[in-house]
This record gives sequence, C-alpha cells and structure tokens, in this order.
Amino acid sequence: MAIPLYIFLIIYFVFLAIFAIFSYFDIDHIIKFGTLNFTNLLAVTIYIGGSVLILIISWQFIGQIDWKQPIELSGIINSGMPY
Amino acid sequence: MKEKTLFPPKKYEKTIYVLRRHWMVFFGTFLFYCVLGTIPIVLYVFFLYNFSNILITVLLSNIIFPVLALGVSIYYLSIWLFFFTSFADYYLDLWTVTNDRIVSIDQQGLFARTISELDLYKIQDVTSETKGFFPSIFSYGNVYIQTAAEKERFLFKQVPNPNEIRQRVIELMEEDRKYHLSQTAISGKPNE
Repeated sequence: MAIPLYIFLIIYFVFLAIFAIFSYFDIDHIIKFGTLNFTNLLAVTIYIGGSVLILIISWQFIGQIDWKQPIELSGIINSGMPY
Repeated sequence: MKEKTLFPPKKYEKTIYVLRRHWMVFFGTFLFYCVLGTIPIVLYVFFLYNFSNILITVLLSNIIFPVLALGVSIYYLSIWLFFFTSFADYYLDLWTVTNDRIVSIDQQGLFARTISELDLYKIQDVTSETKGFFPSIFSYGNVYIQTAAEKERFLFKQVPNPNEIRQRVIELMEEDRKYHLSQTAISGKPNE
C-alpha cells in the first residue's frame, strides 16, 4: 500500500493557514489597541518580514522535492526505515 | 493613541504617565526564544561532527528529508508566532495615570483583555516594591494601589522607577482629593 508524499504538504498548508489566522489577530491587536507610533509599526514590519524570510528559506528546500512520489507503507514496515 | 476610544478623556484631564513593564522583563522572553531558535542549528552541527553518516542518510532520504524540511519550517514559524504573541501580550499591557484617574489595560493572551479604572481621590495607600537581583540593578518593580473598597488592589506590574511613580501618584491623589473637596464645598454634592 502506498500513500502520496504530498499528504505532508497538505498538512503543512493547513498549518500555514492557522499561522496566517493567528498572525492576523496579533497584528490587528497591536494596531487596534497599541499606541500608534514608530515602535508599533516597526514591530509589525519586522514580524511580517521575518515570516516572509522563513517562508522563502523553507521554499528553497521544499520547492526542490518531488511531492508526487509515493511512500510505500509495506517497505517502511518491513525495513523499519522509510527510505 | 486608542485611549480616546478605550477611555474617553475628560475636559480637564491630563495624562501624566503611560506605563509599560520594563524592557528587561521582555528581554528574558527574547532570550528564551533565541535559545529555542538555535536548537535545530546546534543539533545539525552536533550530527555533522559526530554522526555524519546518519545525517547524510537522512538528507538523501526521499521521505525523511521532505518531512524534516516541513517540520523545521513549522518549528521556526511556530517560534516566530509565539514570540510575536508574547510581544503583543507585553506591549498591550498598559497603565495610564492622569490627573484624575488610573486606567489599567491588561492583555491576557490573544482573546482576553481587562480594562479597569480607578479615581485618584479614592486611593488609600500606594506601595512600591523592588524585589530580586535584576529588578534592583535595572530599577523596576511593582506598584500596588489600594482603595477602601474590598476589591483587590490595582497593580502596576514590573514598571520602571516604582518609587518615583509611587511618590507622583500620592501627589496626584492629594491634589485630586483637594479638588473634589472644593467641588463638594461649592456644589454641595460630590463631583465625579
């Protein structure tokens, strides 16, 4: 029996959606309830910049993987190592 | 400033202090997340120098490498999100002292916030407290404000220069009390 590798990518995208929702709430709170000043805007800019940087670096690795390849579950069970 | 919408200022009201916790309090959180951020790098270097064959096997694996790449990405995004949430929690805790009242905005996580007000003339006792090594060096601590009511006392948590704030609040309290007494004498009823 085989499952496609992109299952993990779907889980990753679900995580990204949750990350985006919580980031939205954080940024919204800082803007709505914080003092509108340079620190405030700098914090939001650094956060968005940092998030984009992590996603770009992640994509350098994730983008080169063939996500269509199947994972043989029987192979994992027999060998003990999912190569 | 959103204080106009959160607590509309009165005509004669002047803001004396806008207080947040001392930066040193957040610095501890910052260091904690820095340590969490270095863990994968330290592990990578450790495996590179001690178990390089295992590391090469993992990096060449068609299954482990993709899962590991996604896992590391999720790990760093989570750290970044939690760090920013901690910052929001720190940044949105705010105490405003005016010449008429004290307003406390207490942010608790992402979805809870407590806003409370206290009239200066109702204050009975102000106590400042500096406890510990770092608070003593960087001069920060708590300021407790007690009223006659049974309600739990107001607390300015880990604010800079607590002694100076205590003295200023006492001065403001006395001025406000005199003002209210004079208003009562003129109108015959207490002025809020």
